[in-house]
This record gives sequence, C-alpha cells and structure tokens, in this order.
Amino acid sequence: MSSNFQEHSSIKPYVRLVDVSKSFGSVRVLKDIAFDVRPGEIHALLGENGAGKSTMIKILSGLHQPDGGVLEIEGQSVRFASARDANAAGIATVYQELLLFPDLTVAENIFLGHYPRKAMGCIDWAEARVKARDLLDSLDCDDLDVDTRIATLSVAQRQRVEIAKALSHKARILIMDEPTASLTEKDVTRLMEVVRNLKARGVGIIYVSHRMPEIFALADRVSVLRDGVMIDTLDIADTDEATLVAMMVGRSIEQLFPKGESKIGEPVLEVSKLNHGRLVRDISFTLKRGEVLGIAGLVGSGRTELALTLFGITPATSGEIRVKGKPVSIRTPRQARDLGLAYVPEDRGLQGLVKSMSINENVSMAALDRIAPGLFLNFAEEARRAVDAVKRLGVRARAGIQQPVGELSGGNQQKVVIAKWLETTPDILILDEPTRGVDVGAKAEIHAMMSDLAAEGLAIIMISSELPEVIGMSDRILVMNNGQVTGMIDRAHATPETVGAAMTKQAGPREAA
Amino acid sequence: MPLRHLLRHETILAFVAILLLVLLAFQSSQFFTGANLLNQGRLMTEVGLVAIIMTFVIITGGIDLSVGSILGLTAILTGVFWQNLGLPLVAAAGLAVAVGTFCGFVNGFVITRFGVPPLIATLATLALYRGLAEGISQARSVRGYPDWFYVLGQGNVLGVPTQLWILIAFAILASVLLAATRIGRSIYAIGANEVAAFFSGLPVNRTKIAVYTASGFAAALAGVIFVSRVSTTRSDMGTGLELDAITAVVLGGTSIYGGRGSVIGTLIGLVVIQSLKNGLSLAGVKAEGTAVLIGLMLIGAILITTLLNKRRA
Repeated sequence: MSSNFQEHSSIKPYVRLVDVSKSFGSVRVLKDIAFDVRPGEIHALLGENGAGKSTMIKILSGLHQPDGGVLEIEGQSVRFASARDANAAGIATVYQELLLFPDLTVAENIFLGHYPRKAMGCIDWAEARVKARDLLDSLDCDDLDVDTRIATLSVAQRQRVEIAKALSHKARILIMDEPTASLTEKDVTRLMEVVRNLKARGVGIIYVSHRMPEIFALADRVSVLRDGVMIDTLDIADTDEATLVAMMVGRSIEQLFPKGESKIGEPVLEVSKLNHGRLVRDISFTLKRGEVLGIAGLVGSGRTELALTLFGITPATSGEIRVKGKPVSIRTPRQARDLGLAYVPEDRGLQGLVKSMSINENVSMAALDRIAPGLFLNFAEEARRAVDAVKRLGVRARAGIQQPVGELSGGNQQKVVIAKWLETTPDILILDEPTRGVDVGAKAEIHAMMSDLAAEGLAIIMISSELPEVIGMSDRILVMNNGQVTGMIDRAHATPETVGAAMTKQAGPREAA
Repeated sequence: MPLRHLLRHETILAFVAILLLVLLAFQSSQFFTGANLLNQGRLMTEVGLVAIIMTFVIITGGIDLSVGSILGLTAILTGVFWQNLGLPLVAAAGLAVAVGTFCGFVNGFVITRFGVPPLIATLATLALYRGLAEGISQARSVRGYPDWFYVLGQGNVLGVPTQLWILIAFAILASVLLAATRIGRSIYAIGANEVAAFFSGLPVNRTKIAVYTASGFAAALAGVIFVSRVSTTRSDMGTGLELDAITAVVLGGTSIYGGRGSVIGTLIGLVVIQSLKNGLSLAGVKAEGTAVLIGLMLIGAILITTLLNKRRA
C-alpha cells in the first residue's frame, strides 16, 4: 500500500477490513483484502464488474460473512450476522436498486423497522413525521413532503429518501453503490452536494462508481479492486484517470470511442409524425444504411418509449414508418423482427435474456424459425451458430455455450443479447443503453463492434445516457425532451454544450426534424 | 454418469419409484403381478393424459384448474349427443371432444386477451364448465352404450389395456414436442421469462392459447375414455382430477413458477402416486393414510428440488 496521507493519517479509521477473504464454492471472490474508511472521508471504490466490489460491500453491510480475515469497528474485531447488526454498528448502505416500499409514504419508509414509539408500544406517527422532516431538511431536501407515497417520486428523490433512511439509523459509514447510475446531470450535482454535506458532518462514505469525473470531484482516497485483489489505495491527489483505468483493467485500453468511417447509404428507416402516448409525440427522422444515429435526452424524455414504439411493443397510434421505402405497420416485436428490425433493450435481465437458459438457447431465440424451418429444432445447427457468435463477439464463458447466461458478467450478457439479434441478420439495430453496467473492457469491445457493423452497412440507433458515448459514437444525434424532438445535431457540431442545451430545450409547437 | 445428471430431480424420483415398487411388492403378493400392474395402468390413463399437458401449462408459468370440469362436460355431452340427439356414437364422442377442446381454447383466450391470471381464469371456468355439465345432465345418467365402445376403456389390445396405448403414444408425442421443437422451446422460454420471450419475437400469446387448447383436448379425450371405462355418464365425473394431475406434475419436478420440467418426470410422478395408492390399499392401509403419505412425499420432493437448486446457484 503506497499511500501517504500526512494530515489524515492521525485520524483512526472507523471501519477496517484486515486480510478479508471470501469464496463461493470453489471460486475465490475476495483475497486478503485490506481496506479502511475514516470518519468524514469519501473513499471511492473502483473495479470492473466481477472484480468483487459487491461482495466486499455485502461483507461490510452484514449480508455476507468473510471466510478469513477480520472486520474491525473502531479497532474492535466484530462479526455481523445480518444487515441489522451492521446497521447497529453504524454502517448503512444505499443500493443501486433502491429498496423502498412504493405504497408507503416517505416518513413510513424512513423509519420502517425502527419507528419511534409511544407508551404501550404504539407507533408515534407525529414524532416519525417530525423526525423525517428534520432528516430531510438536514439533507437540504425541503422540496420533499414526508407524506408523499414513494411511488410518485423520481429516482433522484427516492435516493434522497434512502439516504435519509440510512441516517435515521445514525449511520457513521454510508455505502453508496453506483448512486449516480440512473440520475440526470442536474440530480448528480445535487447528490454530490448531499454527499459533501454528509462528509462535513463526519460521516465516512464508501462511494462505488464507474464515473471518473465524480470520483475526482468528491473522493479523498480511492481503492481499486481487480479480480478479487485490492490493487492499491491512493490519495486522489496522487493519481489520475489513466492510472486508475490501467489499474482497473490491468491492461491498456483504447478508451476512446472508435466510431470509424463508414459509407452512408440509402435510407432504410423513415419515420414521420410518429405518436404514442405522452412520450412519443410527432417524431420524425430518417436513418440511413451505415449510419449510427444517437438518441440523447434526459431520463424520462421518451428515448426508450420511441424505441418501444418502433419495435411494436407499444404500437404507434398515428404516424408513418417506412422500412426500405415501403410503408409498414408494426404491431408486435415479431413483425418488427420480420421487417429487419432488432432491439437490444434497456433492461438486460428482464427484457433481453432468459437468464436460466443457456447461451446457446438465448442466441437462437429470435431466429428459431431459421434453425427450425420445419417443426423440429436442428440442435447441431443451433450449436454451430452459437459457437460462431461466441467467438465473433468474444463472449467469455467458462462452460462454453451450455452455460446459463445468468452466470455471465454484465458485459458478456450484453454480448449475448447482441449476438441473438445479429442472428436475425437485421438491417436496423436499435441499441438501448448498450454499455450500461458493462465494465470498461467490454464497453470498448461493444463500441468497436458497433463501428464494424456500421461499416458493413447496418443502420444503428443508439440510445445512451452517457454524453461522451453518444457524441463519440454517433454520425448524427437526435435529441429528445418531453417526448418531442428538440434537436438533430451533426457529428461536426456535436459537443456536450450543444447536445446538453437541446436536452433541456422545449420543443416548438411544430418541430421539424 | 456425471453427478449433475444423477442429482436431477427426475433421476432421484425414478430411484424412489423403483424402491417403492420393490417395497410394495414385498408388502402384498397381489401387487407385483402383471394383471394388477396393467390394471393400474388402466386406472392411471385419464389423470395421465391430463397431467402430461398440465406439464406444458405449468412450464409456461400457468395452471389449468378447469380440466376436471372439462372432463365432466365432455362425458355428459358424449351421452347427450348420442342418446338425446341421436348422433352415431363416434360422431357424438368426436363432437364432445371438439367442445372440450374449445373450452380449453376459451381458457387460453381469456388468459392472453384480457390478461387474467391463469389461476383466476381457470378457477372461474372450473365452476362454469361444471355448472354447464350439471345443467345439461339434469342429474340423469346415460347408460347402455354399445359393446364395441367399451373396448376403449375396458378392453385390451395385444394384451395391454387399450387406453394405455393411447397414453403411451400421447406421452411420446408430448416428450418430443417439448424437447425438440420450436413450440417446446417457446414454452420453456415463456415460462422462464415471458417479457424476454416477447421482446425476442416469440409468439407468446399464440403459444399459450395452443397450450390451453391442448389441455382442453387432453381433458376431453380423458372424458370419453372415462365413460367407456365406467360404462356410464354422470355430471360429477372428474371432480378433483385437476389436483391429482397437478400433484403428479409437481412431484415430477416441474417448477410451479415455470420454465423447468419434463414429461418423463410427470410420468414417473404418476407411477409413484398410482402405485402408492394401489400398493398401500392392497397392504391394508386406509385411503386417508395414503393421502397423508402422498402429501408428505410432495413436500419432500419440493424440498429436495429447492435444496438442489440452491446448491447449484
């Protein structure tokens, strides 16, 4: 551990892991981990998917017990049997998928499990509401009403409720797992203020994130995990982005977005005045062969809804779609597929894959008619195609094509979804957040693959919340806000400023794109 | 054989079934005789036909509670069409089976078109179809069928009960359909993750309607065989049959949450239940005792599967 912290080193860590190891079956997930967090410190935790971050978090929050090593709180060795023990010891966790009860109010959620009591053990609701109010105010969340049902709140607001809930346990250490993964820029800024505020109050924060700018803006120290080993812990002042990425992946990576030149051909998809509900309103655009059309917009701007409408999941209520010049009606994903459309959805686990089925069975799923022109499946042909796809896309699976996709890492799962759709030899590929939750290495591979596919003449629509990705990969960027098109920006003019401005612009009464 | 295959639910259950047959053979000298076993096969056929398609239904993540009522309705209609409408018996039975199949289609249509949960939809049609059967029969029973008709339910072909041949053919067909065809693959995919199956362009609704329609057909066919076996028609036939069928399917290792299961497992489950019932009654155990034992076995089977899956995860 090559760290030099002059002024901090006098502060004793609140929580410390000493040589902690953890295995699942014969797989060693964590090996001799040393890690500590001090009061009032923001300690960033970095690592690719599968590096062991989640397991480490779960050990700290009492969900897993280490096989070897010691967990210390203020220098005392402790053993957490459950999340309750960790809470009692002052460690609280805000998970990526927020664990609130949608039908309960803000106050009810914050104090769930430890409501203030009156005499006779009745819950003191008045007290709960007052305390909840105080907690939220201390987080500068005076816009949140404690009587609102969680279901009506935005993701960012729910996150603040989670943080308040953690504080209600008198947390000394707060673990935040990818807190900004699904937030808009504005909410990210606000969250960062909340985090700084907590730090000022002496709360130690473990901040898990892939996003370098946030880490450099917030963290005091940063630890990098790779393959279950703690590579190093550094003062943030002593490092830079390139060093951290190299530590994470253990190899040098072309992290630039490599959209190559491709010949832009004739239009394959022409959409005009497409409508569905509130979030797809009068959308018009043209997509050409060999082109990557990026779709940018804030969460809730209608990007995914547009994709769902194009793919027949929420069929258009009005407007025209032309595929290769022919007007078509798309009412189901099946029709969309037969017309040459493919959709790699936003939610891999729910919409993209059947996790309990093998790579083999997932890859063939959208093209079963080709593998089985008659009634019977051709298992040899199916396996041959899956082996090909695994090789071409570089899917890493220990047990080969028979491995259930649920056991693969995020990046490899995403490759399987893409492989499934390439089996249908589509003309138009819609990618919805293609690199969300994917580690740095796989991300670069997916970008390179998109570039190759475009060069081969595939027309690609890419929806992404990551501005650098949209700007780097797209030939043109369609920007949406409130279900309408608010900008169509060429590669030459695409900068974070121009795209960002269009994302918050209100569409005119008659927007022509 | 690798450990993974040995630990499969079906394999374990097969060993249990063999053990059971051996034990029961020692309990009663009448049990392990050719005549008794063939007769048990005869008695098992109706539940068997229904259970095989129930396996499909449960793999899609659904359930069909109306099969017993469809069986009853088909039985009544066979008698009514023949006796009251004067149709030739073959036509009467054929028409009744067609109605039963249509009843299954209605289940599938209601479930897919209106998004009613299968449990609720078929609970409703369980009452509906049984009500129709009772209304049509007016508590009368139809008897006196021609002798040739009893070949189906009481006769033998090549020394084996006629309906057992039908069950065997049905089982082979269903196994192949489930394991080696596009429809089979779709059924598993729908049960494991319906949203992903739909997003992948699989014909989710069509497949489900087909499965419930097949379930109606199986129940209807079982109805005709039932009438031929017991020589009479009553409206309460097949009451509670759905529970016997579901028991066999779940005992056979099909996941009640969908996505996993096999026809062979269901068949072994059927054999276990039937031999327990028969063997224990021959050994002088009362029916209540047998029911308790079957219940305990079912809980045991589910515990074992859950444990195995945990180990695998």
